[in-house]
Amino acid sequence: MFMLCVSSCFRATEEEQQAQSKKALKKQQKEAEKAAKKAEKQAKMASEQQSAEEDDFAKDRYGVSAMVQSQQKLDRELVRVQNLTPEKADQLIWLRARVHTSRAKGKQCFLVLRQQQFNVQALVAVGDRASKQMVKFAANITKESIVDVEATVRKVEQKIESCSQQDVELHVERIFVISQAEPRLPLQLEDAVRPDGEGEEEGRATVNQDTRLDNRVIDLRTTTSQAVFRLQSGVCQLFRDTLTKKGFVEIQTPKIISAASEGGANVFTVSYFKTSAFLAQSPQLYKQMCICADFDKVFCVGPVFRAEDSNTHRHLTEFVGLDIEMAFNYHYHEVIDSITDTMVQIFKGLRDNFQTEIQTVNKQFPSEPFKFLEPTLRLEYTEAVAMLREAGVEMGDEDDLSTPNEKLLGRLVKEKYDTDFYVLDKYPLAVRPFYTMPDPSNPKYSNSYDMFMRGEEILSGAQRVHDAQLLTERAIHHQIDLEKIKAYIDSFRYGAPPHGGGGIGLERVCMLYLGLHNVRQTSMFPRDPKRLTP
Amino acid sequence: MALRELSSLEKYLGQKKANKYSTQGDKKVPVLQNNNGPPLVGLVTIACHLAKEAKRPELLGDTAESRAVVQQWLEYRVTKLDICTKEDIKTVLKDLNLYLQDKVYLAGNQFTLADVFMYYGIHPVIVDLAIQDREQYVNVTRWFDHIQRYPGVRHHLPPVAVLRNRIYTSRHH
Repeated sequence: MFMLCVSSCFRATEEEQQAQSKKALKKQQKEAEKAAKKAEKQAKMASEQQSAEEDDFAKDRYGVSAMVQSQQKLDRELVRVQNLTPEKADQLIWLRARVHTSRAKGKQCFLVLRQQQFNVQALVAVGDRASKQMVKFAANITKESIVDVEATVRKVEQKIESCSQQDVELHVERIFVISQAEPRLPLQLEDAVRPDGEGEEEGRATVNQDTRLDNRVIDLRTTTSQAVFRLQSGVCQLFRDTLTKKGFVEIQTPKIISAASEGGANVFTVSYFKTSAFLAQSPQLYKQMCICADFDKVFCVGPVFRAEDSNTHRHLTEFVGLDIEMAFNYHYHEVIDSITDTMVQIFKGLRDNFQTEIQTVNKQFPSEPFKFLEPTLRLEYTEAVAMLREAGVEMGDEDDLSTPNEKLLGRLVKEKYDTDFYVLDKYPLAVRPFYTMPDPSNPKYSNSYDMFMRGEEILSGAQRVHDAQLLTERAIHHQIDLEKIKAYIDSFRYGAPPHGGGGIGLERVCMLYLGLHNVRQTSMFPRDPKRLTP
Repeated sequence: MALRELSSLEKYLGQKKANKYSTQGDKKVPVLQNNNGPPLVGLVTIACHLAKEAKRPELLGDTAESRAVVQQWLEYRVTKLDICTKEDIKTVLKDLNLYLQDKVYLAGNQFTLADVFMYYGIHPVIVDLAIQDREQYVNVTRWFDHIQRYPGVRHHLPPVAVLRNRIYTSRHH
């Protein structure tokens, strides 16, 4: 067969060859030889396979399944990997999982089967249940393929350190590939979960953030990512539960708006039929209008857009805002207390219900446990400036806090009060938006506050001006076109209760709670000035 | 710079009458015209001379060993610290931090001219250092704070605020 092929190739191209150089001839000859060798190899493999199939007693126990098109309803219970405990010992079970790694060793093949953040060791060994061919098949399943496995759960004598299910292993009886992964992965999962600096001596690779984000679907499969986003979901759930219990109403607000809510500079413009509109920087105006409409206490979870061209570790152009607005009786500290209590409930809920996730993330990104006080520490801006000056920072009374100073203040507060969470109250009026209520005792300051986690801002809030007259004055002072915010100002003309609120960035809360270094790690599909995909 | 250091030293030594100095060359090396002898050239030379004149020989070390150490650090100040680049400074701080680990003063338990001139020389570096870095070179910072508070030394230099407590406990923030 080999000879035949070669000679036919020569004959077919004989005439053309005369026009070609000797070099090309040689090249062609080589290619032909290559092709022939390949054909030979394939033939050999085919014949081997054939002979193998003939005497494979286990050929019904493995293979690539037909595509699941919902042909049948199997009465088969699939066990979750996390439930594989010694209690299940000696039971025959089915499960569906990914092939995390496979390692063949003579007549045995070890697989690590992964399901989300859990994994278990499985063993295919030549014996009366599995043939040599089956072991070979198992060893050749590409990483990340999804398989259905029937196996007996067996207790192990020595704990399997590398798996989350350390006390048992699976003795595979059947294995079918449900979905095959391509053999080449754009990144290796083990490389993506390696802590910084570890494995450097062995020259092991680490995956940089851009590669991770470019292949986000795979990166999200890592135990770290799985834990981060489960915890993030927990934050949302705890936020909702706590506020609902306090009598808040969840609202939905439009994201396409006609006027920028906080300064026009960092707002996205979208074309809107024959005119243009903006993407909401916050649901600010709408949640306030809901207060005027007697909803009393409202919150809103939704996307927020910022067209800031800042490529920092903590800025995104689209993020999830957790917004709160509430009417109060006499003093805006009622609002602060309500928000800080909500945050404390979230921290407690995470600490009590998400310990596994926190520890999983800590394995790759070690950090100190998050600390907070009850009641939450509240500092006034002037106190903070005094603390910074004492540490040698030169700044004016009404200067805004720079990011380094913010962080330094966080460290000073941590050292003095041992808390990672605190409120900074009474900001200078000049550095806050137009709808911020001035401080009655000192017009240079305002009834506004920021909240900080590990020295970084997570929430900005204030008592709002609920008087149409004063609001107009403040808007003029900030040179805002009154025509564009007419509907907003008008809503305060027909009786508006005193109210305040704030907006929290979900991604930042998760990042800082876990002590991570980049907000992209806690955004599932991050958007920043340089990234629009995936 | 060098002239202000020398005048501060004079004040520290309690000299009533200020000496007159001139400078020489591009690097403005200080020169002291002595009344009864040849002119003295160079910061360290003049400083040692002033200490002797003021009858404060202990400032140059009172044992043979400490005299050698003082000279070594004075030498280090003018040959290493004064000409080091931004990258070098980290090495200087690291070395100094290690050296000061078990010492109150550069020459051990005794205040000397070496402390004075290393303090003057390193002041601009410490001023620019972030609080986190000051904490990293904690022995340098301790020594520096001690010297700047030493009676009569600081004179022409502004005080640097130094935190007494460590605020960066974890290596991750």
